[in-house]
Amino acid sequence: MSLSALNSYLPKPCAPPRPGGRPTRTKVFAQPPTLAILSDPHVLRLAETLEDSIAASSSSPPPPLQKLRDISSQSLLTTPWPSRKDEPFRFTDTSFIRNSEVHPVTLAPTQNLDVLSGLADSISPNIAIIDGYLVESLSNLSELPDGVFVGRLSDLNSKGLMEKVSKYVSNFQGDLFWSLNGVGAPDVVLVYVPEGCKVEKPLGLRFVSMNRSYKGSKSLPISNPRVLVLVEKGGDIGIVEEYVGGDGDDRCYWTNSVMEVVVGDGAKVSHSYIQTQSLGAAHVKWTSVSQGSKSVYELTEVSTGGKLSRHNVHVKQEGPDTVTELSSFHLSIGDQLQDLHSKLVLDHPRGFSRQLHKVIVAHSLGQAVFDGNVQVNRDAQQTDAGQLSRSLLLEPRATVNVKPNLQIIADDVKCSHGAAISDLEEDQLFYFEARGIDRSTARKALIFSFAAEVIEHFPDVTLQKKVENLIRTLLTPALPSGV
Amino acid sequence: MAMALFSPTFSFRISTSAPQRRRRRCFVQSSQATVAIEAPSSSTTDLLLQVKDLSAVIAESKQTILKGVNLTVRHGEVHAVMGKNGSGKSTFAKVLAGHPDYEVTGGSIMYKGLDLLEMEPEERAIAGLFMSFQSPVEIPGVSNIDFLNMAYNARRRKLGLPELGPIEFYGYVAPKLELVNMKTDFLNRNVNEGFSGGEKKRNEILQLAVLGAEFAILDEIDSGLDVDALQDVAKAVNGVLTSKNSVLMITHYLRLLEFIKPTYIHIMENGRIVKTGDISIAETLEREGYKAIS
Repeated sequence: MSLSALNSYLPKPCAPPRPGGRPTRTKVFAQPPTLAILSDPHVLRLAETLEDSIAASSSSPPPPLQKLRDISSQSLLTTPWPSRKDEPFRFTDTSFIRNSEVHPVTLAPTQNLDVLSGLADSISPNIAIIDGYLVESLSNLSELPDGVFVGRLSDLNSKGLMEKVSKYVSNFQGDLFWSLNGVGAPDVVLVYVPEGCKVEKPLGLRFVSMNRSYKGSKSLPISNPRVLVLVEKGGDIGIVEEYVGGDGDDRCYWTNSVMEVVVGDGAKVSHSYIQTQSLGAAHVKWTSVSQGSKSVYELTEVSTGGKLSRHNVHVKQEGPDTVTELSSFHLSIGDQLQDLHSKLVLDHPRGFSRQLHKVIVAHSLGQAVFDGNVQVNRDAQQTDAGQLSRSLLLEPRATVNVKPNLQIIADDVKCSHGAAISDLEEDQLFYFEARGIDRSTARKALIFSFAAEVIEHFPDVTLQKKVENLIRTLLTPALPSGV
Repeated sequence: MAMALFSPTFSFRISTSAPQRRRRRCFVQSSQATVAIEAPSSSTTDLLLQVKDLSAVIAESKQTILKGVNLTVRHGEVHAVMGKNGSGKSTFAKVLAGHPDYEVTGGSIMYKGLDLLEMEPEERAIAGLFMSFQSPVEIPGVSNIDFLNMAYNARRRKLGLPELGPIEFYGYVAPKLELVNMKTDFLNRNVNEGFSGGEKKRNEILQLAVLGAEFAILDEIDSGLDVDALQDVAKAVNGVLTSKNSVLMITHYLRLLEFIKPTYIHIMENGRIVKTGDISIAETLEREGYKAIS
């Protein structure tokens, strides 16, 4: 039964489905109508709106994409909107998006995209994804080695590659937002790196939201960008994912993004992720990674924008001797919530992982959440896993909720975790003073250096400098006076 | 009140084993001399530091550490303080520097005619008091050159002198690295991050050479140093010394005192200075231990 047929069993505030205007879709499954009682009507309505907008625009989708849509629809039937009683959302209030009138974005090519031509600057090769749609005219893919494919799944001609992709798409089940993306993504952007290929220059992915509503209006445009990075055995690529806000710092929109990364045996993916969206926006992102044996995955994340920003990271080890490094820095300078939920699942021996999470909350209404889970299962012997979370609270009533959690079943492992929530260290402040530097200058320098520890992990130096300047600008007016 | 003499200049000299009279040293000015106005000298301005009956407790626990310390240091003198662990040597140094962990409960400290206890730590530093820490703290995210530049400019600002931008400052700092036998890439590393014990101590002396000081307090500058590193550090310290500035060294061993010749040696015991003398005290200590002294 399709979602719309199921919906007909529920009281409907919206118009009934349009007759005959839609291409035939594979039926998801046949279920008795009583299942409708377990569904969340709000979720179903949203899912249907997304399905309609997709169906209206595209032609017949490639098989993996259709499969993704089917599986996602199915799961949405039984997934309610998360409440504060659900553990993954205990500290995260999503009422901002739940109570808005969410409507999907359809990219009209006639929109004045010239205003974005300034985007095609910095990193090359790069692609621009506007409101979830890949826009070739603003992308520059001239410098990629042979065999590398970067583009829409629907534009992929190779059957062999399409079959490979089929295996990976929707292998993983995330939460409601993951499934909403599965239903609403107009296409999947595929980044494919063949065996043994090293991509010298990092690939930039620029995500921009053009469709935005004004603060105060209840309408919230949603975009669902989806990317699949598939790196074969021995491949090596750097990805720089940037979500930019554009002008007008309080415009509202919802970016519901998913990136799946498959790192083949012995391959390396270095992933930089920077989120500087508007302070009125909602940013929900999934990063689901699967690592083959002896592979390396490094994630460096800086998140400063968004009224509600939630990053879910899931890393699954598929073979032994993997290296996983996760470094993240979240900054809350206004009425913002920055949330990182990460999960590292280790099922094979000799995995090495390090996670460093730093947060600065510099506003009394600012909040941050960190839930770092590491599962060292029975076969993950000789694992070396370390996790450190440090939060700096600079204003009274600034809030941070930190939940580092290690679940260890194997018995020959080395695991550590630490969490500290504090103000600046007195010893470090005194060192500055003892050299003649006054307290407030010392505080500024130390607050900046707190963030710098993560920023230094970015592999590209120009990117580092750019982010350092951004953080410096954000931190300067936000500093509490009189310290 | 004599104006603070800000002199980032130094003379480079090799210490020989022949005894030297510290007071009458002539020094060679390098081309980067900056000289401030000096008050005409008289016997009272010869006095750099005067500590009278200083008592102090640990701020948190109120445990008494210093129980009436008396010390007088004149310009151009080198003092060494030795004593058993727990006698209060480091605490004394930290109290002079203004560390918030300690609270002064009695006595006075006059520094160049100023009441040091009324001054904030950064004011004391700008007035020419330099303390080299026993275990310097790491500051990830702040590079050595940025830190030095900040400290240097803070001094210049206070003295009404023009500040130096990063490039000019680099030109000023780079030659000083030779003093402490370190390479220029050192400047880009973060302050004390991943430094060995010897590198941390040499970093302290580099800061001393860059910022200059009238009164340098060296808290166990020799601990954790191998023989070569110790010589480098001692050379650097001697290089910074002039007839105007003074040093207070805290140490356990004779070794350091063979390189930096002290004018006076004090033994501290139980929060007080119990004995003062010359190098022969250190020699006795080395041979026979503390029971021979007390």
